[in-house]
Amino acid sequence: MNPNAKMNEIQSPRCSAVFRIAFLFGAFLFSTARAAEVDYLKHVKPILRERCFSCHGALKQKGGLRLDTAMSILEGGDTGPVVTPGDAAASLLLERVTATDIAERMPPEHEGEPLSPEQVGLLRAWIKAGATGPDQEQPEADPREHWAFRPVVRPAVPAVQRSEWIRNPIDAFVARQYEQRGLTPQPEATRLLLLRRLSLDLIGLPPTPAEVAAVQTAANEEWYEQTVTQLLEDPRHGERWARHWMDVWRYSDWWGLGDQLRNSQPHIWHWRDWIVESLNADTPYDEMLRLMLAADELHPNDLGKLRATGYLARNYFLFNRNQWMEETVEHVSKGFLGLTLNCAKCHDHKYDPFTHADFYRMRAFFEPYHARVDILPGEMNLARDGIPRVFDGLMDTPTYRFIRGQESNPDKSTPLAPGVPAVLAFKPLVIEPVELPADAWQPERRAWVLEAYRTAATQQLAVAQNKLVAAQEKLAAKTAQPGAAEEMASALAVARQELQVAELAKVVAQAELDSLEQRITAMRATWARAEAGDAKPGEALTDAEQQAARTAARSEAETAVAQARLVLANLELRLLKEPADKKDAVNKEITTAREALDKAMKKTAEPSEQFTKIFGAKWTATRFFNSSTDDPQVTFQSRSSGRRRALADWITDRRNPLTARVAVNQIWMRHMGAPLVPTVFDFGRKGTPPANPELLDWLAAELMDSGWSMKHLHRLIVQSATYRLSSSTAGAEQNLAVDQDNQFLWRRTPVRLESQSVRDSILALAGTLDPSRGGPPVPQASQETSTRRSLYFFHSNNERNLFLTMFDEALVKDCYRREQSIVPQQALALTNSKLVLDSSRPIADRLTGALPKEAATDEAAFVRLAFVNLLGAEPNAEELAASVQALETWKKLPEGQAADMGRGLPRANLVWVLLNHNDFVMVR
Amino acid sequence: MSLLQPRRSFLSGFASLALGAMLHRDGFGAEGGTHPDGRPHFAPKVKSVIWLFMNGGMSHMESFDPKPMLTKYAGKTIAETPFADTQNPKRLAIERLVVPDGNGNQRNVLYPLQVGFQKHGESGIEISDWFPHLARQVDRLAIVRSMWTTDSNHGAQTQFHSGRHQNDGDFPNLGAWVHYGLGSLNDDLPQYISLGNREYWNKKDGHYLGPAHDAVPLRVDPANPLDFGRPERPFSPQAQAVGIDLLKQLSAVRTAESPRDAALAARVASYELAFRMQQSIPEAVDFSKETPETQALYGIDVPHCRPFATQMLAARRLVERGVRFIQVQHGAGGAGSWDAHGGLKSNHETNTRAVDQPVAALLEDLSRRGLLEETLVVFATEFGRTPGSQGSDGRDHHIFGFSVWMAGGGIKGGMVHGATDEIGFHAVENRHYVTDIHATILKQLGLDSRKLEIPGRKRLEIDHGVPIDAILA
Repeated sequence: MNPNAKMNEIQSPRCSAVFRIAFLFGAFLFSTARAAEVDYLKHVKPILRERCFSCHGALKQKGGLRLDTAMSILEGGDTGPVVTPGDAAASLLLERVTATDIAERMPPEHEGEPLSPEQVGLLRAWIKAGATGPDQEQPEADPREHWAFRPVVRPAVPAVQRSEWIRNPIDAFVARQYEQRGLTPQPEATRLLLLRRLSLDLIGLPPTPAEVAAVQTAANEEWYEQTVTQLLEDPRHGERWARHWMDVWRYSDWWGLGDQLRNSQPHIWHWRDWIVESLNADTPYDEMLRLMLAADELHPNDLGKLRATGYLARNYFLFNRNQWMEETVEHVSKGFLGLTLNCAKCHDHKYDPFTHADFYRMRAFFEPYHARVDILPGEMNLARDGIPRVFDGLMDTPTYRFIRGQESNPDKSTPLAPGVPAVLAFKPLVIEPVELPADAWQPERRAWVLEAYRTAATQQLAVAQNKLVAAQEKLAAKTAQPGAAEEMASALAVARQELQVAELAKVVAQAELDSLEQRITAMRATWARAEAGDAKPGEALTDAEQQAARTAARSEAETAVAQARLVLANLELRLLKEPADKKDAVNKEITTAREALDKAMKKTAEPSEQFTKIFGAKWTATRFFNSSTDDPQVTFQSRSSGRRRALADWITDRRNPLTARVAVNQIWMRHMGAPLVPTVFDFGRKGTPPANPELLDWLAAELMDSGWSMKHLHRLIVQSATYRLSSSTAGAEQNLAVDQDNQFLWRRTPVRLESQSVRDSILALAGTLDPSRGGPPVPQASQETSTRRSLYFFHSNNERNLFLTMFDEALVKDCYRREQSIVPQQALALTNSKLVLDSSRPIADRLTGALPKEAATDEAAFVRLAFVNLLGAEPNAEELAASVQALETWKKLPEGQAADMGRGLPRANLVWVLLNHNDFVMVR
Repeated sequence: MSLLQPRRSFLSGFASLALGAMLHRDGFGAEGGTHPDGRPHFAPKVKSVIWLFMNGGMSHMESFDPKPMLTKYAGKTIAETPFADTQNPKRLAIERLVVPDGNGNQRNVLYPLQVGFQKHGESGIEISDWFPHLARQVDRLAIVRSMWTTDSNHGAQTQFHSGRHQNDGDFPNLGAWVHYGLGSLNDDLPQYISLGNREYWNKKDGHYLGPAHDAVPLRVDPANPLDFGRPERPFSPQAQAVGIDLLKQLSAVRTAESPRDAALAARVASYELAFRMQQSIPEAVDFSKETPETQALYGIDVPHCRPFATQMLAARRLVERGVRFIQVQHGAGGAGSWDAHGGLKSNHETNTRAVDQPVAALLEDLSRRGLLEETLVVFATEFGRTPGSQGSDGRDHHIFGFSVWMAGGGIKGGMVHGATDEIGFHAVENRHYVTDIHATILKQLGLDSRKLEIPGRKRLEIDHGVPIDAILA
């Protein structure tokens, strides 16, 4: 490093000169390197790897040419040798990379810019020097043999020397690497830290003072097992882990511009609740994936399970189908399979054996699906509630490959069928359409739907009835009231008219209820024949059906008359109230309303069979064709394509090499602070392979063989000795020298609490956390005063809670791994927010309450208790002394002496300090 | 000691990148790859950037690119004028239609200029009469009249900032790249600050670079400039001071126990910066020490300029204090206040009155203080407006040609670069995509965007852009 190039020198006027010199010096070095000796491995191969291997390597061998070893370069391709050692000018390789004719040039035009003159210079120099490479240079491995594309085979648990340390097979796999690398595990963490870890890890909240005290005095080691069992059975476990999976599965409440829904769905929280419930019930992971992808095909009438398809409904995008589909392909691939199939959107994948068409074949699984909202029992107003879910509506839409990924340029010559990349086709894909039960695609036939409508209409009638009684009472009161004759007359007239309005409103409500019944009868008449299997689409109605339809139509016409009368009565009421100069305008409206009434009355005499159908679900309209009008309705079909069911079947097959590996990697990361495969969404050749592949495979096998039980996996991981290691580096000089990054797990990696856990923990310690579960999200306006768990906060691309965003809140578009940033805004939020300032006092009071009576005023005892509960560690002598000293100082301040007043309370201040301590936000 | 010593000095500039680099090394970074070390890749010409963005789409014809032909052929369809070739479908093909729109359609009936133009300065460059103050600074401006973009909806706002349209996903914007690539100039202030509302488009900057590279949003209000910038409940300064002192003691104990704990060291440093920011930020936006003359220059007391004037004065004060990148959003909210689909004249009169004097004052003031040479000022918008009318008195979104200007550090003043055709439809000379502005700024800062790339996040050629060397001195 050039010491002259320190950052702060940039500010001085002379610094640019310093830089220029440094720069020139660098250039000089570079040119000498070129003239002297070019190192193939250091200078040449990286250029070829970066720019040429994807077409001339293991993945593809265009023109029969491979450039991944010096030997294969010398062998050349279909047209003969491409390099003449010692003679750069005669070498085809150089000719092609320097070609000015764009058709000749390599890499080709659409593969990015040409090689730079420096890069060409290096190639030239290497050829001049003889174009040699190392002996026994290995070519790129066959992509099909890539570790993540090979089946999961349960590895044998290794026998290791450190057997007394081993608690379960996880440790054996870890210990073997200790032996191979000469590492020694750190000792086990203290009980206090273990308890804090388990609690935050499994339920997302710190242990209570009583739990801490119990563990401190536990007589034997059984407390650990008991705690694990208790926490895994705690319903808050589902809330904690739901938030993790909501990151990966891209949970988002709806967002748009203003009130316009553009992304995700209203009431999508039903999917969130399904995740929480499923995790608590230990629903198998594979079953969860199947339901999220295809519950509508697997359980077409089970609203509880249909909630799962919120996973796909969330990808809804008002304006652009291609974007919707592309996001779906990208995130199904990344989230479930650890594949960057999105990189094949414009061209063949550069690193993995996936073709351009593979991207669109994956899209074809999703091509037919759209989003809709189903009516729930008891609520017919979809603005208030409903289940967002998916259905196959576009059965015949073909899927085309977009040339260079451009939607304006589809290759219409070849429609693509659903399919998976060849390298992962371990069994033939069977796609069979699913015949849906009638009330799945005609949801108005669900018993609760009609009941929901009836309930709503009956409630309306009751409201009208109450208003009528109120109007009657008002008129009676006015009649009894003494007063000036003229005023009286006017007030009475108004009251009489108000009564008339109320009477008519009741008539309307009654007519609406009656009409609803008639319409139900008419719809039932057609269903009856359909159920008997006699109906054929497009067939004429029977006489009985016709009769019912006419009655329904007439009831609607009569309702319209009642409504028109009500409009007129309301206008007449307005006429009474308006001043003289405004009466003309009202009179005009009255004339129009009378005409409307006449028209409505005439309509009752015209026979009709057209009436408004009751619906049980509503398609979420799209605007793909024009941003200002809804697209033509996508109707519900009696069969579903079966494509997504087939995809789900393939993803969750025991033979799929990726699904279980990707899942255990996610779970492992969230327990241990770092994943086994660092590139959590890329298990392909460009990703980073696991440092302990046997452990990953053993865990994957264990997950599948346990019936995909996630609780089984949680239990295994937290019971391992590896999980229980101390995070300290004390005395580990040798380990640090070998493995500074703790890749081989000789200690526990400390983790910063996620945003939600920071807030939830503070509320839990204060005893103010609202324990209620599920339901609609807390809107942004109420969040500041809400004490519900953070996962219930409204969370979308546009609306995120300010406090939570300070601590790396999940981005809804893409969050496979939470950030763990450390920025000053976090310090500001923890020192200054209402949340922290309002909680310090209740936390202090709760801790004081937990002290034995005789120690209630003992400051040292308080300090110990606060450290133990907030940081999971006893204070050392220095910390104890400093804290007691601070308490004494606060007491002497005026507000400290004001005893219990407000924030001045010394113990609350100490809590405030500890909430800002590094160890509070870290799980050590 | 030997372990502790270098880290402490390392931490002194931790606010931006050193922290990222350190965390990465210790396994805290989210992405792989080698992180930059905070030093420029080559000799920088400027230290700071002030990025001014007019939300909604400012008319190029009524600001910096006068087109008298619009008035001459007003009311005619473009097909009836000598400029019919502007409608050649091939030339219109750069537009990427997300969805046909009530807006964004072709507007073919030419709409006359709504404002007059005069020549100004030694350069004699024409500036619209809606910018009387800025006109006096014209010899400091390099006006690029040949910008183009691809999407005619307001998602183009993110496109101008990151090179990618809102619908393409979330990508780091220019300020985030600069923050990621360059070290700190001042340890008491954040290096990337955002002023003004941000509503319609995504409020984040860093995206895959991580939230550490988001701008810190600031309000120009010394009493409450920063989220959580002061206690939200009464808390006496003495009591706080005792607490902070205790926190420091406790942290020191832990640091001595775990000298290698990078997260702990970073957290301690972040608290120190936070405490300094609580002092330095209110001071930076407190104008009480600014002379009445300076305040008058910006128009602080002129009601229609006041909001933007305070932001411009704050921007100058932040630059003075060594803040690297200051992003100022004007008129954000909904589609953006410059979005004059109707009533263009009154819309642009109002908006220009709000920004003209303050932005002219910024240039003048930076120059007087000798800061203009090391500060790059950019004045931009997401797209221009159609030469044809929308409704009776508006202009629609227009992506085929529009104007931005730059001034200050290393920029040639008093020049026009590029041109649109005679009706302001297509950029026809020296065409520049929006990322060319990014490339120009990075060049002046001494950064090579290709060297900042993150493994696994391959950027396209067009994302990098090409520096507009013609406007560089």
